[in-house]
Amino acid sequence: MKTKLSILAIALSISATPASAFDFSSIGKVLETVTKAKEASTDIDEPQEIALGDGIASNLLGAAPLVKKPALQQYVNQVGLWLALQTERPDLPWHFGVLDDNNINAFATPGGNIFITNGLLQRMSSEAELAGVLAHEIAHVLKKHHLEAIKKSARTGLFADIASQALDSKGRNPAIAKLAGAGTELFARGLDKEDEFEADRMGVVIAARAGYDPFGLPAVLQILQGIAPGDSDLALMFKTHPTPSDRLSLLDSLMSSGFEGYDARPNLAARFKAINGAGKKP
Amino acid sequence: MKIRWLILLMVWCGLAHAAETAYMVRATELKAKPFSDAETVATLEEQSKVEVLGRQASWMQIKAAAGTGWVKMLSVRLGKPGAEPAKSGDGGLGKLFNLATTGSSGSTVTTGVRGLSEEQLTNAKPNPEAFRAMKAYAAKKDDAQKFAKAGQLKPEKLGYLNAGKAAEAGDK
Repeated sequence: MKTKLSILAIALSISATPASAFDFSSIGKVLETVTKAKEASTDIDEPQEIALGDGIASNLLGAAPLVKKPALQQYVNQVGLWLALQTERPDLPWHFGVLDDNNINAFATPGGNIFITNGLLQRMSSEAELAGVLAHEIAHVLKKHHLEAIKKSARTGLFADIASQALDSKGRNPAIAKLAGAGTELFARGLDKEDEFEADRMGVVIAARAGYDPFGLPAVLQILQGIAPGDSDLALMFKTHPTPSDRLSLLDSLMSSGFEGYDARPNLAARFKAINGAGKKP
Repeated sequence: MKIRWLILLMVWCGLAHAAETAYMVRATELKAKPFSDAETVATLEEQSKVEVLGRQASWMQIKAAAGTGWVKMLSVRLGKPGAEPAKSGDGGLGKLFNLATTGSSGSTVTTGVRGLSEEQLTNAKPNPEAFRAMKAYAAKKDDAQKFAKAGQLKPEKLGYLNAGKAAEAGDK
């Protein structure tokens, strides 16, 4: 507290004598910027993170609707919440949805909204595989990967505006709507490769914690790896993620020891097929 | 007559799809059963071609020239050996290879025609009604617990894996 006061005193004295304090005033500016940057990075609290994520989810649903199968949507929510309950953020308002789209992809927004495309779901053959993919997306939420990336890409100050900006007549925060636009665009550009690898590392553990065969995620990556790189259903996934081959190599090195005891785990292929309809897409 | 041939062709395609072409990323012992201490049927060489018959947790049942058996799933990659860049940073060569084999560079595929393309994501308009409908499908904690129990999913405590372990293993 004392140092803060003395810095303030110095800053005041500098601004009072501008002619003699050229160098000092630039230090003052640096100090000011540092403080602002600090504020911007700590400004967003959990309710705001959730509001931002809900805005992004709403945008995604503007791009593609949900599959009109209530039983399937409820099923994916049960698998997803059961996984989320094994993590450090069990109390977020977790929502899961299957998007009616042939692209092969999955998305997570800040605050706990997770989407998987029907195109990806139809390539899977068990609940353990679905769990692996959902767990990967859950990890992005836990680590706030998208939130951090939005912060990096959004106009400086927008984040600070979230806290300060008055709500409009409908009770919405205009700064959040703008950031939600940036957050949706981020799905077209992708996250940092390291974020994807981290989500893979955490995803297999979350699936294992939930009692699943933890090889569901690598199995899905193997399926993706077997699809021709030119397949247009995979174009965006391939553009925004490390290659399935690189991701498999990472899991290969991580899971080669310590995962021997999981071979008797359920993969619940029958439950998956009963809900999702028969058979893999060719 | 024609229809019979068509049916035969469809059956054949179905069977052909059931077994997918794959290859071994390392020399591997082919096991008679999906256990580490099971009898070794043969030793498969790195890059040797196999056919995938199915997966059971960490094991994959495959058919090789030397016989049918089980190998660790992460020792297998789908497709033909060399059809994909093995390491990151190998994109140039891998792309050239793709161009040579499929006539597509992989990165020049068109997006923006349908669905969740780059363009549609960039221009997405919010649909708050659809999001409200999605929220109605949310599960409750009790339900998720019952659901897990019905599937005999037993939770356990397990720490996250650290990145260092991967780097270490990758160096070997």
